Amino acid sequence: MNIWEGFVVALSSIWNHKVRSILTMLGIIIGVSAVIIVVAIGDGARKQLADEMFNTDENAVPLYFEQMEMEENGEFIWVDPPAVSGDQLDQVKEVPGVKYVLGTNSGWGSMIHNEKNADMEMLGVDNQYFIAKDIKLLEGRRLNTRDNDSYSRVVMIDSLTRENMFKDDEEAVGAIIEIDNNPYKVVGVFETTLPPEFQQLDDFSNGQMLMPRTLISMMFGAPEIDTISVIADNPETLFDTGNAAADKLNELTATDGGMYIAQDMTEFVEEFDSFYLTITLFISSIAGISLLVGGIGVMNIMLVSVTERTREIGLRKALGATRGQILGQFLIESVTLTSLGGMIGIGFAALITAVAAMFLPFTPIINPIVVVIGILFSSFTGIVFGILPANKASKLSPIDALRYE
Amino acid sequence: MMKLSNITKSYGAGSLVVPVLRGVDLEIGDGEFVAIMGPSGSGKSTLMNIIGFLDKQSDGVYSLNGEDVKESNEKQLARLRNEHIGFVFQQFFLLPRLNAQKNVETPLIYSGVSKKERIERARALLQKVGLEDRMSHLPSELSGGQKQRVAIARALVNNPSVILADEPTGALDSKTGAQIMELLTGLNREGKTVIIVTHEEEIAAYTDRIIVLRDGMIVEDRKVTA
Repeated sequence: MNIWEGFVVALSSIWNHKVRSILTMLGIIIGVSAVIIVVAIGDGARKQLADEMFNTDENAVPLYFEQMEMEENGEFIWVDPPAVSGDQLDQVKEVPGVKYVLGTNSGWGSMIHNEKNADMEMLGVDNQYFIAKDIKLLEGRRLNTRDNDSYSRVVMIDSLTRENMFKDDEEAVGAIIEIDNNPYKVVGVFETTLPPEFQQLDDFSNGQMLMPRTLISMMFGAPEIDTISVIADNPETLFDTGNAAADKLNELTATDGGMYIAQDMTEFVEEFDSFYLTITLFISSIAGISLLVGGIGVMNIMLVSVTERTREIGLRKALGATRGQILGQFLIESVTLTSLGGMIGIGFAALITAVAAMFLPFTPIINPIVVVIGILFSSFTGIVFGILPANKASKLSPIDALRYE
Repeated sequence: MMKLSNITKSYGAGSLVVPVLRGVDLEIGDGEFVAIMGPSGSGKSTLMNIIGFLDKQSDGVYSLNGEDVKESNEKQLARLRNEHIGFVFQQFFLLPRLNAQKNVETPLIYSGVSKKERIERARALLQKVGLEDRMSHLPSELSGGQKQRVAIARALVNNPSVILADEPTGALDSKTGAQIMELLTGLNREGKTVIIVTHEEEIAAYTDRIIVLRDGMIVEDRKVTA
């Protein structure tokens, strides 16, 4: 009997004992699906984290100001980062390898328009921002150097804000909106860069708004530049370039309180990875116990099956089956049972992750390697726990087996 | 041809040894039609098991076609059963989840015959035993006589030289039993060695030679004169 035929026979035997087989496979199903789900959710979260940290721009590195002294006489002290000017950033841009230097700031304000009210975050930018970032203009114009130089009270709104705060037939460009009781003129509408899951109205995300950073500084009290990021010509040397840029900036702003450094985002990801590895190992060990218990269940049911089919075994031996052939038959049966359990587990995991994707702020990613390991491991369980019953079956003496009532 | 010389068989060990066969000498030539009779406990089933390679003798020599089979290991015994013996049992012993054709194919699976040839041979034999229209029926859908015909077709499928039937009519009514005996008689006419274990005189009467066992020894070995 070749393996394929044995597999078909095993499947029909499993089918003939549907309820029993499902109950037996449950431990395997739970074990395999648990591992796949956990890894899928972890991978999804990791990707989301990495995307957010790198701000979907893998070629950009932020420059952070790190304080030298955190404490003085036991008191925590806060050192303000030195003021950075646009001119200084222009000099940093001259560092070899630096493609762009983005200096931005931000402010919060309450926007009122058409008797609608929304809390908005305004990002303060200069014209570099539009060169470095892929901002798609839908209506009107971009902010320019003159807006910054002259503190123009102008804003750009994104498509989401336009949709939410403006009437469909209303002209947005040229409209005057109010933010914290001050009027601003809308000069352009750009396509929102928010990911689809954030494109909804709530207290925190109403849309995006861009203003000249000088205006933000004047109206909302932020430093003109409080966030700096460097975009490199070559992504491979991003952190070296970032550090060179940070050195240049430290040289220009020279302060004792601290220094600018290029923040290596991979550190955060590594930290998350080690946390996530701990979780994965924990869940995997529980899944391992589930597989062990499931395997014992398989062994138990196979022993029952051998006893039930004692006469069949005797007959098959009388018809010329060797010990090896009987052993093979029962081993294939238990492997089929556990592999089927593994496959159902994979299907179950796919279902759960698909449902979870609707509720989670990120999409779980099913790892094909984990799926393959799941199948191999469940098959392996079938071999390990099938050996004993199969061996018992193969050792039955044909005359005793035929006489068995 | 099979030759048994001074075959003994006992079960148990030490002081609890129970002798079942106490020195059986028997020669059965190719193409013979033999009945083995005897009361229960006479050792006739044990003798049949040894002849059919289901069991090993404790002592004595059993040679098949001049070859001593005593030293055969389990795998070789399985092969001997598969190639030389066709078993027919009182309780039919068909595999309940397989249809008639698949039941007949089973021995061929163990001898490694290709699927195509298995189907051809199973179908031809089911036709021979008059069940061409029952090939895809499950055993539960067949009558007792039909089940025994399937079992006979299965016994024949590997073209063995010997058909070994243990009370083949024991579970059948007398009319169906007679049909089965006629089928076995026909097989003997075609040249098969047919050995029937029975306790019924009428069944033994179909055969050419009657061997009677009592207390583990042959007490009678006579030709049947028609």
